[in-house]
Amino acid sequence: MRVPILRQGPYLIASIQAAVTDEDLLHLGQEVVERVGQYRSRGVILDVTVLDVMDSFAARTLRDLARAVRLRGAETVIVGIQPEVAFSMVRLGLSLEGVGTALDLEDGLALLDQHVRRRGKGGR
Amino acid sequence: MDGETRVPICRDSDIILARQQGRALAAQLGFSSIDQTLIATAISEVARNILLYARQGEIILRPVSQSEKKGITVIARDEGPGIPDLTLALQNGYSTSNSLGLGLPGAKRLMDEFAIVSEVGKGTTVTMTKWTQ
Amino acid sequence: MGEPRHSSTTLALMQELALTEEEIARRKAFLEFHDEDVQRLQELGGLAQQYADEVIEDFYRHLLAFDESRRFFTDPAVLARVKAAQRDYFLRLTRGVYDGAYVEDRLRIGVAHERINLPVALYVGAYGFYLRAVLRRVQEAYQHRPAEVLPLFVSLLKVVFLDMGLAIETYLAQRERTIRLQQEAIRELSTPVLPLRERLLLLPLIGAIDAQRAQQLTAQLLHSIRAYRAKVVVMDITGVPAVDSAVANHFIQTVQAARLMGATVIVSGLSPEVAHTLVRIGVDLGMVHTVGTLQDGIEAAERLLGYTVQKLEPPMLVPHPEEGQ
Repeated sequence: MRVPILRQGPYLIASIQAAVTDEDLLHLGQEVVERVGQYRSRGVILDVTVLDVMDSFAARTLRDLARAVRLRGAETVIVGIQPEVAFSMVRLGLSLEGVGTALDLEDGLALLDQHVRRRGKGGR
Repeated sequence: MDGETRVPICRDSDIILARQQGRALAAQLGFSSIDQTLIATAISEVARNILLYARQGEIILRPVSQSEKKGITVIARDEGPGIPDLTLALQNGYSTSNSLGLGLPGAKRLMDEFAIVSEVGKGTTVTMTKWTQ
Repeated sequence: MGEPRHSSTTLALMQELALTEEEIARRKAFLEFHDEDVQRLQELGGLAQQYADEVIEDFYRHLLAFDESRRFFTDPAVLARVKAAQRDYFLRLTRGVYDGAYVEDRLRIGVAHERINLPVALYVGAYGFYLRAVLRRVQEAYQHRPAEVLPLFVSLLKVVFLDMGLAIETYLAQRERTIRLQQEAIRELSTPVLPLRERLLLLPLIGAIDAQRAQQLTAQLLHSIRAYRAKVVVMDITGVPAVDSAVANHFIQTVQAARLMGATVIVSGLSPEVAHTLVRIGVDLGMVHTVGTLQDGIEAAERLLGYTVQKLEPPMLVPHPEEGQ
């Protein structure tokens, strides 16, 4: 099932579905990076609330996505990682270094706003 | 005890099916929700390993018991090219197929018992078990 | 000594003790309980029918003669019922069938004894009395064939020892289950999650932490983050006497997992001794935000959340409900 990408103001929001396949995830990565350029988005939120497993492949794909997005001048925040999923990721050794995380969509948007303000002050 | 479940692995979506079945069995056996997730994640890792290295194979899910302990055994079997150097394959960061290289060592960390048998040209069998506390 | 019925407790016990057909066979082999024993016990069966009532009367006369056993039979109705059940129990020893159903019956008795807190010494002592009562009667009945008495009695002993093994294991299993339940209850009680301010939780840990409790704490902390929408959690370990590398690593994993959920964990109350130990055993707490005291922890958390706390002058005598908001 393809992941829908919504545009909200300067941000893109992608809500990942429970039964997302490897192919869907890779496709999402390409699509998000393209749209960030197309809409000149300042930030991306990946909502993984319904994901009940985050294995090394998914974590790597999301981390790569965040890195590519940053190269295009935007920030990525992953929101909604479930308690069990977070614990299992740590056991696997997946820490999503360099990627912002927040509890839910609301916090994720606030975190992006903070980033954008900081960048504005920094003159970029 | 119920019998075992077999899930053939030959495409992406089979990985999801295998871990869903694994989680359901783990829940039925009384594993905590954290353990259910650890098991489902380990299944995901070994199932992807099958796809990456052997293209096809199967996952077998089996309830097991030992005196008063209950557990789940997950067997990932393929008839692919096999792994020439198992020690290397179980090291963190090792990978030949552009994955994170966490597949096998990661799965090993998530489960209580882990064994792997591989023969070059014949295939690979990973057997791993987790016990309820 | 309850009603003969299938109970879920005994079935669960059969599973817990792993009493499969093979296991029962193994136990019999260890007791050297063979087919000829079964034959001898069957032979004894006829005689047992004859002495059953007498033995039961002796048996209860003995039990009622002692304070420690009499207290279990204060109700005459109960006594009558128990006597009948006990008579069945003894007769089953010489019925010649020692299969899964037999074992289940014996476990049921064990469960009943444990439930009324019958001391093991009384159970074993009463069985001893029974054996002596039976031996006397067998000797009388076989006075013209004295050579047969000993083999008969030895066969009876074997099945009695099979019974006693089952009964004592039932006791132990029930006790262990009780202890397990109590431990779980204590664990749940011992770690409250306190919402201190909006989006700030306090988790005061008290007592020793083993691997199992560490995992429960992790689950509790991570779920509380979600339930309270916490942004910062202060985990206070002032009340934890020792932290070894396994527990420290678990804390580190928990802190990392909380970060993945978007929350920050501050560990407070790390005593100088604990800090020293962790450095010596090579635990790297570099990723963990640690502070000395609980007060430091709460202040650090408030700073992260953007609170500033100001002392009011002069100090108010009556605390105002909105103080510190």
